[in-house]
Amino acid sequence: MRKEYLIFLSIVLTICLSVVTLSSSAFAKEKAVIYLSLADYTGPIAGLNVPADKGTEDYINDINAKGGVDGVKIKFIGIDTRYDVARAVSAYKRYRRTPKLLVVNSIGTGIARAVGRLLVRDKRVQLTPGDGEFQAHLGSTFIWGPAYQDAFAALMDWVMDDWKARGKSGVPVVGYMSWDNPYGREPLRGGKEYAEKLGIKLLPPEFFPPGTLKHDVYLTRLAEAGASYIYVGGIDPTPTNVIRDGYALGLTRKIQFLTGYWGPTSLGLSIHAKALEGTANVSFFQRGEDTKMNKVVAGLWKNHRGSLDKLNGVYGMGIAWGMTYVGGLRAALKAVGYEKLKGLDMYKAYQNITGFERAGIQGPCAYASDSRRGSREIKIYRVKGGKIVPITGWRKTPDAVSLHKF
Amino acid sequence: MRIFKVIILFVMISGLAFGAFSCQTLQSLTGPKATLVITPAETFLSPALFKKPVTFKGSGFQPKEMISVEMVLPPGLKMKGVKEGEDVGIAFATANEKGNFTAAMAPTATLNWFFQVGWTPLLRPNFKAAKPIPPGVYKINATGLDSDRIATSNLKIFPPPKKK
Repeated sequence: MRKEYLIFLSIVLTICLSVVTLSSSAFAKEKAVIYLSLADYTGPIAGLNVPADKGTEDYINDINAKGGVDGVKIKFIGIDTRYDVARAVSAYKRYRRTPKLLVVNSIGTGIARAVGRLLVRDKRVQLTPGDGEFQAHLGSTFIWGPAYQDAFAALMDWVMDDWKARGKSGVPVVGYMSWDNPYGREPLRGGKEYAEKLGIKLLPPEFFPPGTLKHDVYLTRLAEAGASYIYVGGIDPTPTNVIRDGYALGLTRKIQFLTGYWGPTSLGLSIHAKALEGTANVSFFQRGEDTKMNKVVAGLWKNHRGSLDKLNGVYGMGIAWGMTYVGGLRAALKAVGYEKLKGLDMYKAYQNITGFERAGIQGPCAYASDSRRGSREIKIYRVKGGKIVPITGWRKTPDAVSLHKF
Repeated sequence: MRIFKVIILFVMISGLAFGAFSCQTLQSLTGPKATLVITPAETFLSPALFKKPVTFKGSGFQPKEMISVEMVLPPGLKMKGVKEGEDVGIAFATANEKGNFTAAMAPTATLNWFFQVGWTPLLRPNFKAAKPIPPGVYKINATGLDSDRIATSNLKIFPPPKKK
């Protein structure tokens, strides 16, 4: 009887030891960290997000193929939220207890605000487009580049330069139109104050619902109010379609049209090149011909996606997200090593990669203990001869966030 | 002989205790029972859902915690953007000081997960590409994201009424 007990006990102990050994050896075999993208692949802004995430994924795949970061592989997880906040919250719930999940990229500000509350508690880094509030109230959310209002302010600087270069007297009159939602209003929260400081006459803004088919009413109102420049917000193809309407009304001949980060890309140009001719655009990442000239971006695209004809500037922006993650990971690994690595270490690392370069796709990393801006520089582009070409070098953006009371 | 019995018993009890403490679901049983009420509990898929969306009322959650309301997709049901086996979030809310919450489905959630519309580049829903979810009884879970408390209820979706 005693012998039987001994055998039984040996079996139990063997099973326990095997489980422990197997799990620890599997863990030791592959060192991996996670990048979670709460994305939109089939919803309203899929046209922007799909190429951007392709860039991140291609870059990460290349890093992994070369052995990872100090032997640590990166796992890219992309979730299609269809731009829906409830789906994003639920998706994050599913992954929030995943070990070594270090960074979450939230494609929209609405998603970022909801998921951000959980991320603060979970001590993880969140990335999100450009809402100035994340710079005004420093937390674990980092924005991709300069805040929307910073970019708008830089564009107003350029308007002043352009106004003078054209030999005009008096002050420029600028019209503003964008989506009737918080994103549409964001550039004015600090941007308006900056424009007024420059002496620019900013007309009462025109807001319209996303999905508006014709924009003649808003354009006509701004033109009749004497606009010499019109800033068009929204995510492409909205800016392209607004300028298409402006062209049909004959306004593009006498008014300089301006767009923000999500203005015309190669997609809009392929359909409305004539209408878009002359449009100026402010961007924190390289676009158009600049993107094609960037060896890292063009090389990755060729290797993974083929012909450069369909290369979109936002693909480069996605690569920059991947590069920043790798830079942060390298710093975090150096600080604490793989075994102890947690989201909080990545949060600290993101604040210590100030000045980190990303192959010239955007300005040097501006993340720091007192900065959540991905970079401080923008370039002004213009549609010329059916191509998007730079008309300035990198320019430092003014701090328009501090001009608004959040 | 007795000592071996004691050892085996000890190993088994320790294992069970470890399992119980590490299991989040059991932890959630220690709090008050969470409840979920869906209004309406039975509905047609119609444009009326945009004016009067499906709403969820819950109680028994931790004060001020975030709640995720999810629809459990039956095996074999394919949904745009959702991998098989995943639940889909259809609403979210924050519990009040008493641990109660109210949430309504946002229009985007109704469009994406009930009607399964496509989207035009102009950010307009494309009903031509819609694939409404099949009629049936769907399990809905409301989960407290701090307490892990789960309340469950059912939502019945009827086939659209026949046109006369």
